[in-house]
Amino acid sequence: MRFDGVILRAATLLTLPILMFSCATTEAPGGPPPAVSPTRTREQNIELGRQHKTAEDLYKALKEEAKGGKKLEWNGLPDFSGVYSRPLDRGFNFDIDQPKDVATSAKLTPEFQVKLTKRLDDLKKGIEWDPISTCAPPGVPRWLTEPFLREFIVTPNQTWLINEMVNDIRRVYTDGRDHLPVEDRLPIPNGDTIGFWDGPRLVMHTNQLKAGIYQRGNPDYTDQVETVEIWKKDDDRTMGVDVWVYDPPSLVEAWYAHHTYIKLTDPPRIRYWDCGENPNNAVFQTKDGTTQFKDLNFSDEKKKGK
Amino acid sequence: MKSTLVTAFILIIVLLASAAPGFAHHSSAMFDQTKTVTLEGVVKKWELTNPHSWLWVDVKGKDGKVVTWGFEAEGPSTLARAGIRPSDFKEGTKLTITGNPMRNGDPAAIWLNAVRASDGKKFDPRAGFAVK
Repeated sequence: MRFDGVILRAATLLTLPILMFSCATTEAPGGPPPAVSPTRTREQNIELGRQHKTAEDLYKALKEEAKGGKKLEWNGLPDFSGVYSRPLDRGFNFDIDQPKDVATSAKLTPEFQVKLTKRLDDLKKGIEWDPISTCAPPGVPRWLTEPFLREFIVTPNQTWLINEMVNDIRRVYTDGRDHLPVEDRLPIPNGDTIGFWDGPRLVMHTNQLKAGIYQRGNPDYTDQVETVEIWKKDDDRTMGVDVWVYDPPSLVEAWYAHHTYIKLTDPPRIRYWDCGENPNNAVFQTKDGTTQFKDLNFSDEKKKGK
Repeated sequence: MKSTLVTAFILIIVLLASAAPGFAHHSSAMFDQTKTVTLEGVVKKWELTNPHSWLWVDVKGKDGKVVTWGFEAEGPSTLARAGIRPSDFKEGTKLTITGNPMRNGDPAAIWLNAVRASDGKKFDPRAGFAVK
C-alpha cells in the first residue's frame, strides 16, 4: 500500500511538468479547424472595404460569414510561435503594395490630401517631425508598420500581439466580450480590440484609437479611426495581416493594406525598451517644424557642467 | 505633360521617403543624407541604448585638436541582428567610420558603416533590418 503511494507520488511528480509544459506552449497537436470564410485577392479585399461603410459593419459581416466564429481550445491553437519582423525591402509605407508612382493608395479627403502634400513638400526641404519623437507609442494602425521584433501569444480567450518597440502589447479579447460601452470610451494608443477565430484566422475590430500618422511620409489619421484586421499564417514563416482602415474625416473609403512579418531564424532576445534611457536621444520640434537634438553632448566635461 | 511632371515629382518624394532609415523614434531630418563623412578615430564610449545607440569616437584633426563625434544607430536588438555586439567597441578601439553628418555642422552623424582597424571587421548597423 505504502509502495503504491510512492509510485503514485512519483508518477504525479513526473506528469505534472509535462502537463504544465503542454498548457504553456502554443503548439497545437491538431491545430484549429479550417476557416469557413473564403480567401480573397487584394482587389476583392479592396472591394470588400468599399462595400461596408464602417469598420463595425465590416466586422459584423465577417463574423456572419464565419458563422460567428469558433472559440479556440487549448489543444487546437494555431502555431504563431517565434519572433517575427517586418521586411523593409519594399519600404516603410503603410501600404507597401501601392503603385510606385503615387504618394499613397489611400483615398484621402481634400483636407488630408493637403496635409500629406505639405508633409512631402517639407520632407523634400529636409523638414520632418515625427509625433513619436517624445517616446509616445506608435499606436494603431501605425503599430503595424514598425520594423522591430514581434511575438504573437495565442490563448483561447486572449491573443497578445507584441511589438518590441516601447514594450507595446495589443490585447485582443476573443472570449465573446463586446467593446466598452460608449460612455466609457476614450482614445488610447492601441485602442480596444475584440475578435473571433475563423479556423486559423483571427478576425479583429479595433476602436478607441488616438490620432496619428501611418508612418513618416504617410497620411494622418484622426481619433475616429477604426480598423478591421484578419491575422493568419500565409506560410510557415510568414504572418500575414489584411487590414481595413476606416476614418471618415480623412478617408473617402476604407483603406486596405496587407502586412507581412517574417519569422526570424536566429532572433536575439527581446529586451526591455527604455525609450528615455539615453538623454542624447531627446529631441524637440524647431520653429520651422523640423527635428533637432535637445542637448546633444558627446563631451563628458560638458555633461559635468564644466 | 503636366501630369507626367506631377507623377515624377511624387515618385521622387516617395523614393526619398522610402529611402529614409528606419529610425525608431525621431526623424533623421537633422542629418544631411546627401552627404557622407568618413573619419578615423578611437572609440571613447559605446552606448547600446534604446531607441538609438551612440558610438562616441575621438577624432584628431590636422591641428592636433581632438573632437568627439557621435554616430547614431539603431537600438540593441537591431544591432544584434546586424552582428554588432556590446564587446565590439571597447574604449580605445581604432576604427574608420562613415556616416551622414548633421546639417548644422555639429560633430554627429548617422552611422552607416565602420571598419575596425585591428581585424578589418565591418559593421553595418542597417543590416539589422534584413529579415532572415
